[in-house]
Amino acid sequence: MAHSLSEACTPLKREYDACFNAWFEGYLEPAVSASSKPEERQKFAQAKAAEYERSCGKVWAQYRECVQKAVKEKGLDSLLEQARTENPLKDAPPPPSDLSS
Amino acid sequence: MRFYSQSFLYDDPWSIVSYAFFMRYPNPLASHILSCDVISRIVNPSGTLSTTRLILKTGALPRWAPRGIVSRAESWVIEESEVDPTGRVVRCTTRNLDHVKVLHVEERIVFQGTDDGKTFQNTEAFFVSNFGWGLTKKIETHGLARFKANIQRSRQGFSMILDLIRQSRMRPMALGTSHSYTPSQYIPSSSDSRPSSEQSEVRTQESNAIGSWLSLKSWRRLP
Repeated sequence: MAHSLSEACTPLKREYDACFNAWFEGYLEPAVSASSKPEERQKFAQAKAAEYERSCGKVWAQYRECVQKAVKEKGLDSLLEQARTENPLKDAPPPPSDLSS
Repeated sequence: MRFYSQSFLYDDPWSIVSYAFFMRYPNPLASHILSCDVISRIVNPSGTLSTTRLILKTGALPRWAPRGIVSRAESWVIEESEVDPTGRVVRCTTRNLDHVKVLHVEERIVFQGTDDGKTFQNTEAFFVSNFGWGLTKKIETHGLARFKANIQRSRQGFSMILDLIRQSRMRPMALGTSHSYTPSQYIPSSSDSRPSSEQSEVRTQESNAIGSWLSLKSWRRLP
């Protein structure tokens, strides 16, 4: 797993990435499909979100705090903000609901 | 503005290609990636996963670039993605955050699972310079040329990760299936690309990748 932008965050990043990858593997192979009922899909979404929070929520909060601090220290927060307003290709890709057709 | 577009069909199922896509850094062919961080990630009420990553890349400047055109040959890149596991779609947009007046590059990738268990990839890239001084077009053309030169390499690196994931899931077949990720179809649609030579190039590079499997395996640990 690649380094974090701040060496201080790299151990937390590795721990978080490992946790996320384990969760993500199951997330990518859901028991429900696009043809399932909306309530089944919603149930799946809620279950996966809860599972993610339960297993990775704590390390995510620590890692995010570390990265946010580093982003501020490097002055990247203004760059991120600026990039959002100056983007010459503004039209974002359509949301997934539009492309399932 | 310059534009690039290419499609690709993987024999692997969407879940494996998508998993590999998010794990593609680091790999030995992406040494230009200095750091990669998740800055936001949420599971949406609809069940899709939205992720924003902040990536630091290095890159050499062309020799004709005016001195001081950028303060350093590093660039911050933001990657915004959305994964829809029920519709089997990944959409990912990547663009540079700094030096955007010199050259703004935006890459849009879509992975779509097919009904026969394969994965269709479509890549589009846009190159826009607002530099002026008579260099705008030259900078855009250079950006496109660099992108085209690098895309084979990044696909080769991605294939190595894909291969490792396949092997970690199907251990009994480990080395015997190394060639199975050879794309069954390769459809470049860039206006001035040469389909036949590019296709053979991809296959040669991927067979070389098999030889480096052992060193890669020791280099990278999978869960």
